[in-house]
Amino acid sequence: MNRFRRLSLAFAVAGAVGVAAPAAASALTTITISGATASYPLVSLLASKYVKTHPNKVKFKITQGGAQIGVNDVAAGRVSIGDVSRDPVASDPAGLVFYPVAKYGICVVTNKSNPVSNLSSSQVTSIFTGKTINWSQVSGATASGPIDLISRTSVAGVLTSFQTLFLEGKKVSTKAAEEPSEGLMRAKIESDPNAIGFVSNYQSDKGTVNAVGLNGVACNHQNVKTGAYTGTARFYEVTKGKANGAASAFIGWIEKSAAAKKIINTQWLTI
Amino acid sequence: MLERLRHPWSDTRAERTLGAVSLLVCAVVVAMVVFVAIHAWPVFHYNGLSWLGSGGNVGRQIAAMQTTTQHPPPSAYHLRAWPLVYGTILTTSIAVVLALAISILSSIFIVELAPARLRRIAIPVIRLLASVPSVIYGLIGILVLVPFVGNHLITTAEKESVQNVVLLTGAGLSVTVVILTVMITPIMVALICEALVSVPNSWREGAVALGVNPLRAMLAVTLRAARPAIVAAAVLATARALGEAIMISMVSGGNSFAPKPIDGLVFLFEPLRTLASGIVDFREGIGAPALGSTLYAWALLLLFAAFVLSIGGYLIKLPLRKYQVRG
Repeated sequence: MNRFRRLSLAFAVAGAVGVAAPAAASALTTITISGATASYPLVSLLASKYVKTHPNKVKFKITQGGAQIGVNDVAAGRVSIGDVSRDPVASDPAGLVFYPVAKYGICVVTNKSNPVSNLSSSQVTSIFTGKTINWSQVSGATASGPIDLISRTSVAGVLTSFQTLFLEGKKVSTKAAEEPSEGLMRAKIESDPNAIGFVSNYQSDKGTVNAVGLNGVACNHQNVKTGAYTGTARFYEVTKGKANGAASAFIGWIEKSAAAKKIINTQWLTI
Repeated sequence: MLERLRHPWSDTRAERTLGAVSLLVCAVVVAMVVFVAIHAWPVFHYNGLSWLGSGGNVGRQIAAMQTTTQHPPPSAYHLRAWPLVYGTILTTSIAVVLALAISILSSIFIVELAPARLRRIAIPVIRLLASVPSVIYGLIGILVLVPFVGNHLITTAEKESVQNVVLLTGAGLSVTVVILTVMITPIMVALICEALVSVPNSWREGAVALGVNPLRAMLAVTLRAARPAIVAAAVLATARALGEAIMISMVSGGNSFAPKPIDGLVFLFEPLRTLASGIVDFREGIGAPALGSTLYAWALLLLFAAFVLSIGGYLIKLPLRKYQVRG
């Protein structure tokens, strides 16, 4: 009986804490964000800076999942802001407003042991549409044997941008293995000497994979910044209707403040 | 409130409460099936049963669904889901057959042959293994097994032999089946061990007294008496294998290809996608109505498979009832 009493006391305390904690936090407005895995590093940096510069006003809850999840969540009202790594498309739900916040480079990447330094647009198209299938047909490649194409699942924002920017709207070959996130794509390229794929420049700048130049211009933050590199796409913050309240303040802060611009320019590029 | 709960309940009160809880569970299950079926309906309405057939490329068909508007025409629902259905059947059946053989043999060893000290360690360890979350197996698969298979087991010649049809990157049938087998074996061993232990010793002794050697007694008496438990274990393991999503999504190669046995050894390395891992892979696109509906249709198919499985398990066990061990 004594044990039971102690147990119920423990439950009561746990319950009280559970009720009290949200009550204490409710003074803060929570901005919920979900979406693109590619823009997650940027958004979480921006959010933590925003919390520092606006103490005791807002807190953030950020989850990833993919551009399409961001679009779906914000359209359904599950989050205040959706992160999207591609331009708006026809199938997006009506009534969404896209705020461009940053530009990023999409790099074609290969394994470190296969340091291809440069590919032309037509070579990239030929490889990713499955016309060039062997590394022996690619000049500068040290790998031998078939090319392992690694792509993203068809709902990824970066894939949509990649097909528009690099393949002139053509589709990546159906033979490609489809990875559900940028991180898994990078992991796959790191472990497979014959692999080729594409990630945002934030991932390739980490240096664990070999970033391939496009038409003679290396894919790195410097060239994305100067505009020399042409494979750049945009990150958007998306709201249902025009942004209002805390979300609007946050998006406005990203667009205007010097602190936000500084963060964006570390790895990405301001609009 | 707590004070009142501590008193013993009257029979009627306990009966009503427990009845209400079990009714609630039934209602939730029915509501879930109905919800999934309603969302899946357009797919079957527009495609008919040829939806289950093969034809075209699933990846392309899914990508096409993505680009339609919020009110898609019936043609947007076009899909031929056979590669995924086939992938599910293939991985599940191979893994369950392998796991069944391994688990029966190892249970016999643990219960009948192993020294008592080893048995005391082995049984808790197997129980622990049975509760390892599948994502951990997936992680080991993607970091260790997939690179190993891709870089050491698959030869360039093998890759080139099929390079016009499919790419072999290491992730595929073999890694999926190996991990799936490792995942479902412990739970089967735990269940079968329990059944073998509960076979009365007198049955065994009786058989030995009639002049049968111990191995024969084990096969003819102990294992026979444990058959209902073996079926139950197989059903449970099959259900787990059918519904496994995250792990398979990580190690199956992410391509809706239907592995072809005609390719010989290469068959083992070909990528695939199962219904459950497909739902994980494309969950992002659930907002596009046609794709959302398609994912629900896959889910409905899995629910149906689980239903058939439990009915099947029941039917198989029915004639075995007379051998059932009663404690």
